[in-house]
Amino acid sequence: MSNPVTIIMIEDDEGHARLIERNIRRSGVNNEIVAFSNGTAATDYLFGKDGTATARKGEPLLILLDLNLPDMTGIDILKRVKENPNLKTTPVVVLTTTDDSQEIKRCYELGCNVYITKPVNYESFANAIRQLGLFFSVIQVPPAAP
Amino acid sequence: MNLQRLDAARRRHIGQILLLAAGFLVLVAISVASVLLVNRAREDSALVVHTVEVENAINALLLEIRRTESAARGYLLTRGPEFLEDYERAMTAVVPDLTKLVKLTADNPVQTEHVRRLREAIETRLSHFAREMEFVKQGQFASANALVREAAASPTSATIRDIGEAMRVEEHRLFAVRTTNADRSQVLASSVTIAGSSMVIALAALSVFLVRRSSRMRDEAEARLRDNNVNLEATIDERTADLREANDEIQRFAYIVSHDLRSPLVNIMGFTSELEELRGDIFKRIAALSRAASPEPRAPENATDSAEPVLDGTDRQLSEDFGEALGFIKSSIGKMDRLISAILNLTREGRREFQPERIDTRELIEAIVTTVAHQAAEAEAQIRIDPLPDIVSDRLALEQIFSNLIDNALKYLKPGVPGDILIKGRTKLGFAIFEVTDNGRGIDPKDHQRIFDLFRRAGTQDKPGQGIGLAHVRALVRRLGGTMSVASELGSGSTFTITLPINWAATNRNKDT
Repeated sequence: MSNPVTIIMIEDDEGHARLIERNIRRSGVNNEIVAFSNGTAATDYLFGKDGTATARKGEPLLILLDLNLPDMTGIDILKRVKENPNLKTTPVVVLTTTDDSQEIKRCYELGCNVYITKPVNYESFANAIRQLGLFFSVIQVPPAAP
Repeated sequence: MNLQRLDAARRRHIGQILLLAAGFLVLVAISVASVLLVNRAREDSALVVHTVEVENAINALLLEIRRTESAARGYLLTRGPEFLEDYERAMTAVVPDLTKLVKLTADNPVQTEHVRRLREAIETRLSHFAREMEFVKQGQFASANALVREAAASPTSATIRDIGEAMRVEEHRLFAVRTTNADRSQVLASSVTIAGSSMVIALAALSVFLVRRSSRMRDEAEARLRDNNVNLEATIDERTADLREANDEIQRFAYIVSHDLRSPLVNIMGFTSELEELRGDIFKRIAALSRAASPEPRAPENATDSAEPVLDGTDRQLSEDFGEALGFIKSSIGKMDRLISAILNLTREGRREFQPERIDTRELIEAIVTTVAHQAAEAEAQIRIDPLPDIVSDRLALEQIFSNLIDNALKYLKPGVPGDILIKGRTKLGFAIFEVTDNGRGIDPKDHQRIFDLFRRAGTQDKPGQGIGLAHVRALVRRLGGTMSVASELGSGSTFTITLPINWAATNRNKDT
């Protein structure tokens, strides 16, 4: 990944976070990964204290989002990101265990860019993350705000 | 409490019957007594009349005798032929009067005796008259006068008078006695009638009271019943709502639990795989180290990194044990994942809204048979479809039901025996009954309940499966308002019977699930 895109990983399960990070690294992506284990810390980072996300303005970001968080649902975060003028162009990859079709539909409706279900089978899981890494390496991420 | 109420009702019934019977008996008794008493009164009256008749007869007889006497004297004094005529007429009247009196007094020995004596006296008297008349006719007036004087001196006349008087006294006595008797009979008859009537009236009043009381009780019972019905309906609605809520809760619970179980499973599987890789690295290093330590290094094997490292003795054993442990962990995780997926799918099915539509059942099943044609050919099985009734139901649910049953039939055929699967249907009382029959390995009757339980299977476990199919099918059949059963013997095939409503309205059950 040539441009210094920061990957924001919002994942409450530390094991999952570790596995995701490892497999991204294995695919040769060396971008900075900022990990959050709960929704509050993540939104504080993304939107700042005033909730306007002006601090993140112009920063190229990519968000990896789990839907099941201890303090809020990933959908709330997705909604806020896509409604925020400073962050709405930021690609959001939903990576979660939920494979309910209603949920998937809702995420895409809210503006999620990719929806990936975590397979329990590790080969599939590792494969998916590595392909995601490859995807990251070719994707053009716009700066968070024009 | 109900029993007591029943007892009371029975007692009331018996009481009413007894009351009616009593009223009837009283009526009969009154009727009989009235008839008897009226008869007696009539007899008494007849006796009174008889007495009067006897008296009349006595008077008439005595009168005739006096008439005879006075006619005889008149003739003796005047010798007028009109007195003779009078005498003759009175004379002829005496005998029938006497005969009549004899007849009338035949029932009374006292009067009979009187009459006998009276008859003697009268005959004597009449013979006197006859002799007097004879003397007068012959012109012997002196003899006639002497005879009259003699007759007047004799007690015959007095005897006749006395006896007549005695008879009249006797009849007077009888008259008094019989009148009293008749009065008593009449009083008795009327008092019996009055007493009976008042009893009947009393019984009728009691009956009316009882009938009114029982009808009031019936009204009250009806009112209570109505109240109970209303309450019952309310209770049923309440319970149904509770059940619906509980069912929803279970669905949500199952969904959340199975969903959340997946997350740790991803970790277990992930890090187990990581461990497997570490194991490869470790034993490769061990192999390299032991090779370096050994005097003669091996040539080509260490050239490729991915190949299994060559180990000896104890190291190989360790590596194999390690691999075996990881293998068990991974296969268990795989199984757990499949179970959790199955629960998720079931809860998802449970939450799906059904859409009733008219379905050509035969077409639907033919489509399913087409999709399993390959498996059927492999198993050398033929699938026959009889004419089937069309129904209104949910298409997807029906597809799942029949494809599960046909899959099972194909899956559990008897090895070495060509399969024969028959699907037939009929209708009965608003329900369509479908039967899926196979000639497969059959199911032991003790397992007939078990096969419908989630994650439970029966018989030889030589086929892949989670034990979900039939549980799912039964859940679907129930949601469609139907029932399902199996008939089977080990080794002689199975028949699954599904009963579904022909016209299923989604409103019946959709909200229940």
